[in-house]
Amino acid sequence: MDPIATAVLASWTLDWGSLCLLLTIAALYFRGWLHLHAELPYKYTTGRLASFTGGLFAIVLALDSPIDALGALLLQAHMIQHLLLTMVAAPLLLLGQPVLPLLRGLPRWLFKDALGPFLSCRELKQLGHAIVHPVVTWFAWSAAIVVWHFPRLYDLAVRSPGWHQAEHACFFWSAVLFWWPVVDVWPSIPIWPRAAMIPYLLFAGMVNMGLSAVLSFSNHILYSSYALAPRLWGISALEDQAAAGGIMWVPGSIAMLIPVAILGIRALETRRAHPMKPVLRVLTPHRPRQWDLLRIPIIGPVLQYRHFRRCIQAAMLLLAAVVAIDGFFGPQVAPMNLAGVLPWTHWRGLVVIALLLAGNLFCMACPFTLPRDLARKFVTPRYHWPSRLRSKWIAAGLLATYLWAYEAFSLWDSPSSTAWIILGYFVAAFAVDIVFKGASFCKYVCPIGHFHFVHSLVSPLQVKVREPAVCGSCTTHDCIRGNVQQRGCELQLFQPRKAGNFDCTFCLDCVQACPQNNVGILRAGPGQSLLEDHHSSGIGRLSRRPDVAAMVLILVFGAFLNAAGMTEPVMMWMHQWHARLQLGSLVPIVTVMYLGGLLIIPGLLVAACGWISRLGAKASWKDLTCSFSLALVPVGFSMWLAHLSNHLIAGWSTVIPAVEKFVSRAPSVNYLQAWVPDWIPSLELCFLDLGLLLTLYTTWRVARRLSTGDGMALAAMSPWAVLAGALYSTGIWIVFQPMQMRGMIMH
Amino acid sequence: MKPLLLPAFVILAQATAWADGGTVQLRQEAGDLVITVFTSPSPLSVGPADISLLLQNRDGLEPVLDAKVSLVLRAEDSGIELQAQPTREKARNKLLYAAPVTLFKPGKWRMAFVVVRNQEETDGVGSLEVAAAPDKAASYAAFIAFPPVMIGLFIVRQWLIRQRSQRGE
Repeated sequence: MDPIATAVLASWTLDWGSLCLLLTIAALYFRGWLHLHAELPYKYTTGRLASFTGGLFAIVLALDSPIDALGALLLQAHMIQHLLLTMVAAPLLLLGQPVLPLLRGLPRWLFKDALGPFLSCRELKQLGHAIVHPVVTWFAWSAAIVVWHFPRLYDLAVRSPGWHQAEHACFFWSAVLFWWPVVDVWPSIPIWPRAAMIPYLLFAGMVNMGLSAVLSFSNHILYSSYALAPRLWGISALEDQAAAGGIMWVPGSIAMLIPVAILGIRALETRRAHPMKPVLRVLTPHRPRQWDLLRIPIIGPVLQYRHFRRCIQAAMLLLAAVVAIDGFFGPQVAPMNLAGVLPWTHWRGLVVIALLLAGNLFCMACPFTLPRDLARKFVTPRYHWPSRLRSKWIAAGLLATYLWAYEAFSLWDSPSSTAWIILGYFVAAFAVDIVFKGASFCKYVCPIGHFHFVHSLVSPLQVKVREPAVCGSCTTHDCIRGNVQQRGCELQLFQPRKAGNFDCTFCLDCVQACPQNNVGILRAGPGQSLLEDHHSSGIGRLSRRPDVAAMVLILVFGAFLNAAGMTEPVMMWMHQWHARLQLGSLVPIVTVMYLGGLLIIPGLLVAACGWISRLGAKASWKDLTCSFSLALVPVGFSMWLAHLSNHLIAGWSTVIPAVEKFVSRAPSVNYLQAWVPDWIPSLELCFLDLGLLLTLYTTWRVARRLSTGDGMALAAMSPWAVLAGALYSTGIWIVFQPMQMRGMIMH
Repeated sequence: MKPLLLPAFVILAQATAWADGGTVQLRQEAGDLVITVFTSPSPLSVGPADISLLLQNRDGLEPVLDAKVSLVLRAEDSGIELQAQPTREKARNKLLYAAPVTLFKPGKWRMAFVVVRNQEETDGVGSLEVAAAPDKAASYAAFIAFPPVMIGLFIVRQWLIRQRSQRGE
C-alpha cells in the first residue's frame, strides 16, 4: 500500500478515558437491554442493540480515527467528522431507544435513590417535554449548525481544543434533539403527527443546503485557519472548501431524505391494525439473584478450591523471602533493590487498587500467617487473647508508629530496614498466634490488616450470606465453629450476623465450612456498611467503638500527612527548621510534625466538631464523634488511593532493574526513571472528588440517623462537612505540588 | 477522542488538552522541502507542549515520510537548551513528525531544526513565544467544580423529595 495512505490510516488516537466512558455506556445499555429484551422482546430487538452500538462506533470513528487527525489540515475531513456526529451517530443512538435500557442498566441504588426523585419530578418532566418539542429541536439544530459555521467561531474551534470540543458537543447534542421527534424516542409522547416530520426534515434540509451552497460557491476562503494550513497533495484551500460544501450538501441531504422517504411510505400505507403481540412470559416480580463472585465461571471455582489460599500465601511467602534477602544482602540503594521498590511502590499501590475494585484481597494472600498455620499442626495455642486488650488500640498505636517511622527513618529508602520489618512481622505474627488462640494477631495487632479492614468499608465486595433464610434453619453454625474438615472464622465473625468487611480477612474459611454452601462474595453498595451501621458479629456497632474511631482518624489524617511529606514545600519546610535549629537529624522535626498532624490537631478538630454537632443531634459527644469519624473513611481512602496509585503508575517499571540486579544482571537504567503520565493529576482529582462526595453523603446519612428533621441533621453534619472539605482542599493542594518520587530516579 | 457525550466528558477533556498539530508557527521552503512547524497547546505556555513538523515535497506537496528530524530549543534569556527528535511514531497524525517537550521558562525561545533526507541536510530557524504557565487550579477547574455541582444536585434532590412528601404523593 502507498506509504502515505498507510500513514493516514495509522493516524488513530485512542483516548482511553473517553473510550472507557463509551464502553461504560455500552455496558449499561447492554445490561438494561438484556432485561428489557426478556420482558418486551418485540420492542427491544437485536436491531435496537445493533443500532445503539453502531451509534457509539460512529462517535469513535468521528473523534478517534484518521478523520480527526486530518481535520486540522483539510476542511473536508472536518466536515465528514461533523456529519458522522450529527447525521450518523445521533440518529443511530436514538434508534436504539436508549432511555429505558440506560436507566435499567444503572445500579438499582443509583437509579432509585439518586435519579428517582428527578425522574418523577413533574416540573422536570414538563421541561423535558418542552425541550423535545419539534419547534425547539428544529431551531436548536439549525442555530447550532449556522452559528458554528460563522468564520470567527469556526476558526476559534479549529485553533482551540477546548472550543473544538464545545463545537462538537453542540453539534452532537443539537443533533440528538433534532432527531428525537423524528425517531419518536420512547417514553416521550409524540407532539406532532408522524407525517409532520416530513416538512420538518425538508426544511432542515434546506438550511443544510443553504450552508453547503455558501461553502461550495464562495470564491474566497471563509476560514483563515485553513488558508494558513499547509496544503496536502496540492489541494488548494478553495478546492478543499468547495469539496467540504459538497460533502455537506450531498450526504447531508441524503441523511435527511432517507427518513423522509420512510415516513412518506408509512403515511401512504393503508392503516392496518397491529394487534398487540402477547407477551408470553408472565411478568411476575421476582427478587433477582445477587451477583456473586464465587458464581463467576473459572474465578469462582478457583477461589473455592480448598488449597487456593495456601497457594497464594505460599507465593507471597516466597516473594517476601526474596525481598527480605535482597534487603539484607543486596545493594542498599532503594531503586536497585527489591526491598526498595516492591513493598513501597508496587505492593502498596496494588493494595489500594484491590480495595477499590474488589476488597481485602491482600489479607487473603497474607504470607505472615502461613508459618503459624503450619506450626499449629504441631503446637496448639493454650491461651485466649487477654480480654483487656480486645480492642483496636494496639493496632491504632502501631499504625501511628509506622506512619511516623516511615517518614522519620526514610524506611522507603532503606532496603535493610524494610527487610527487618518483614522479618519482624513474621516473628510477631508467629509469636502472638502460637501463644494465643484464634487469629489474635490479625484481630488485635496487625497494623497492615487494620489498614485493610478500615478501607475495605468502601470496597464493592463483601463475604456475606447468600440467603439469610437458609441460616435461620442452621443449627451447627459451622461458619464460626468449624467442623472436622474446616476451621471456622478465626476472627469470630458469625456470618448471619456479620455486616460489612470490618475484621474480615477474606480467608474464605466460612465459605469452605458452610455445609449449605450459603456464603458468597457479594456485591455491596459504595460505603454501604458506613451508611447503615448495623450491629455486626464480633465487632458490635462500629459507631460505638472509640478505638475504631481513633484508628480511622489516624488513617485519615495519616493519608494526608504521608502524602504531604513527599511534597516539595513540606520537605523544604522541614529542612529549613532542621537548619535553623541546627539539629543532628530530621527525626525531631518529623516527630513534632507527626505529633501535631496525626494526634494533636486531629484530636482538637474532632473534639470541636463533636461538640458543635451536639447542637443538631441528641446524642452524647462520644457517640457523635465515633459515628461521624467513620464517615471520614472515604475521603482518607481517596487520598491513599491518589497518592499510592500515583507511585504505582509512575514507577511500575522500577521492578525490572531491581529484578535484574537480584539475578546478577546489569540493570536497565532506563527503567529506574519515573515517568509520570499527564493524566495522573486528573485521576488523582477524580479519586479525591469521589471520596469527598461519599464522605459528605455518609455524613448526611449519619446525621439523619442521629437527628430529628433535615434542619437538625444539617446542623449536626455541618462541622464534619467543613472538616471533610478542609481535608479535600489539602488533598488538592498536595496533588498540585511537585512530589518526590521515592524509590525511583525522577525523569 | 474529544469529549462529547456527557457533562462528565468535560472532566476527561482536561487530560487531552493538546496533541500534535495546533497553531502554525513557521512555514519555510528549504531545498526540496516545504516545512511547516505546528505547536500546541495554543497559546504556547510553560509546561508540556508538542512541537510537530509537516514535511512536504516542493513539487506536488506530498507529505515526506522518510526524513530524520532533530530540534533544538533555546530560551533566549536563561540559555536553557532542549533537544528533541521529532518522529512520526510520536505523532497522532502520522503524516507529521512530533516531539513532546517541556518548556521550563516563559519568554522567547529560539527554535532550530535540521531535516536529513537522502543524505541531504535542510535546516531552519524560528522563534516561539511562550506564555507563563496557566494556573493549575484553573486547568483542572472542572474537577474542582464537580463536587459543588453534585452537592447542588443533591440539595435539589432533597428538595424534590420534600415537595413530593408535602404533596402527599
